[in-house]
Amino acid sequence: MTVAAHGSVAPEAIQRPKSNFQRDLNLVRELSITQFKLKYTGSALGYVWSLVKPLMLFGIMYLVFSLLLKAGTGSKDFPVQLLIAIVAWTFFTEATSTAMNAVAGNGALIRKAYFPRWILVVASTTSALLTFAINTVLVVVVTLALGHLDLTWRSLLAPLYYLELIVLVLGLSLLLSSLFVFFRDLGHIWEILSLVLFYGSGIVFPFALIQAKSPRLADLAGLNPVAQIITDLRYSLVDPSLQSMGAIIGSLVIIPILLSVAALVVGYLTFSRLTPKFAESL
Amino acid sequence: MNPVVEVSHLRKRFRLPLDKSTTLKYRATHWRSSSRYRDLIALRDISFEIPPGQFLGIAGPNGCGKSTLLKILCRIYQADSGFARVNGEFSAFLELGVGFNPELTARENIFLGGAVLGLTRAQLRSKVDEVFAFAELEDFADQKLKNFSSGMQVRLAFSVAILAQTDLLVMDEVLAVGDASFQEKCFDTFSRYKREGKTVVLVSHDLNALEEYCDRVLLINQGEIIADGPAADVTAAYHRMIADHARAAERDTPSTLSRGDPNEWGSRPIEFVSVSLLDGDGQSSRRFETGGPMTLDMQLLVHRDVGDFACGMAIRSADGVLLSGTNTFLDHVTLSSPSPGEMVSVRYTIDSLPLLAGGYIVQVSAHDLGGSEIYDYAAPAASFHIDNRGGHGGMLEMQGRWQVEQEQEQNGPTTVMRQTAG
Repeated sequence: MTVAAHGSVAPEAIQRPKSNFQRDLNLVRELSITQFKLKYTGSALGYVWSLVKPLMLFGIMYLVFSLLLKAGTGSKDFPVQLLIAIVAWTFFTEATSTAMNAVAGNGALIRKAYFPRWILVVASTTSALLTFAINTVLVVVVTLALGHLDLTWRSLLAPLYYLELIVLVLGLSLLLSSLFVFFRDLGHIWEILSLVLFYGSGIVFPFALIQAKSPRLADLAGLNPVAQIITDLRYSLVDPSLQSMGAIIGSLVIIPILLSVAALVVGYLTFSRLTPKFAESL
Repeated sequence: MNPVVEVSHLRKRFRLPLDKSTTLKYRATHWRSSSRYRDLIALRDISFEIPPGQFLGIAGPNGCGKSTLLKILCRIYQADSGFARVNGEFSAFLELGVGFNPELTARENIFLGGAVLGLTRAQLRSKVDEVFAFAELEDFADQKLKNFSSGMQVRLAFSVAILAQTDLLVMDEVLAVGDASFQEKCFDTFSRYKREGKTVVLVSHDLNALEEYCDRVLLINQGEIIADGPAADVTAAYHRMIADHARAAERDTPSTLSRGDPNEWGSRPIEFVSVSLLDGDGQSSRRFETGGPMTLDMQLLVHRDVGDFACGMAIRSADGVLLSGTNTFLDHVTLSSPSPGEMVSVRYTIDSLPLLAGGYIVQVSAHDLGGSEIYDYAAPAASFHIDNRGGHGGMLEMQGRWQVEQEQEQNGPTTVMRQTAG
């Protein structure tokens, strides 16, 4: 047996930061960086994949809906509108489906260590947000350089719509991740719901198309925050001649915005309510 | 001075679902019968305090509730009633390497594992070299953790775990892992904590370690503290408790399963009154030797006439793997219809135990000849330990024989060397 002399001195212990917030923030950072890194290590193209996937989806949707079905004809720079929508949608769907497993997939950690459990969900969302931020910056820079964005004062609202999207995603993630521990069917249910949302939110065609066919259906579909966020992003970044969701459904537009906030509140409350049962149920 | 830990009237019950109820289909089809649970009482009414600087040990048989107690202390489980309060910072070593990710390098894992402990990246950065030195892993800092041997992983994990300064240290069986030199390091660290007057809670099966380090030991059985005092006294009590299974069985019918729902096993027409393990001299013991004799002694009390019945036993490894099991019916022994009030004594003798070093669990049952109706059941009914002697690895002694033949061509005629050993 070799007992190395250099190894016999235990490192001096460190005082933890006094503020819990600082510890929690640090753990969020470490976990989200780890998740982000692990997602792309080991594959030859690495990060490129997170760009290729939305681009592929964009390509297919463009081909089918814009070229074949002529959706969005007459709308200014519809491909750019489509691209911005698809990047946002990819964030929404990837973040929520990854977050679904943020609690259930970390049973070992939850059963063996104490830390506020919401950190797992926030870390998972942050990791998805990182990809989303990089992709959005790339898309905005490229389309701006090519002269496809129409930025005016109304564009100042775009960051707020992105913020609304993040609030919505975080709220749904908290809700889904905590419920998924107890109802595993939720994974499948959410996949189906996502599909409904994808087509119901007018991502691959201008939302006005729904309104043209049936104003009542538009009133209904417009209540869903994803439709409102996508429509308003297009309006504020690409085409001022488009109608914003406020113009389409009138004062009802407050509902999707409230729904996004409600998602966060309900998600947080549900998550805190179920937290004490996580360790026993996993 | 304020106690570091205050635990008051702690109760914890687990509801174990009898069916898989986490799918929608189940919920939809069984919405009326949502109460298909079996209650398992883990902690009955636990109260104690730990003054600053005390080294407290917690002992007890498997499933006695000590891990549950620890997890409530560490805020992982929530108590049903009562409270457990820690005044100050605590570090929990419920498992080494919590938060580690095998796909990351050792260095990255220090930051990740440290973050789980509550340390920031900036704080850890200055400690990385010291950690690697203490873990003796300087040459592997940028290797992925998945390429480490389990010994290396444990060393790294331990070196990270002791980084956070705490008022209370909670440890669950960390001694059970790692090689001899690592265990030495653990013990060195314990000694240092003891010298520094740290408050420590140590859960262990290793009674020697408890006696050596602890000022005070709690003995927990069936979710209750049954002894609390100086380490030597309590470990002696623990030895007595294990040896004297008969009394434990009488006070507290030996089955952990039947406790939960007495109706589940019927009205128990036959009952195990005592179950004990006897050595070659007929003395009750829990330490046996590979190749030595062991007798399982069961005393059954008949409450109701059930006709002919069978009595079975099984031995499991400490982690629950079924190693062997049989019953009187399979071995053509008849237990013919005893009358109510009669005591039946059943013994199962193994002349030469084929088991190697480790902890083992015995379970017993009384049932009808077909095995479909269980009259009484106790798991674990007894446990025993085999000390490490011969150095053979694994759980089973195969009692094999080696034969080696080597032809040696020298100048003269070929000689064949034969060796036999077994």
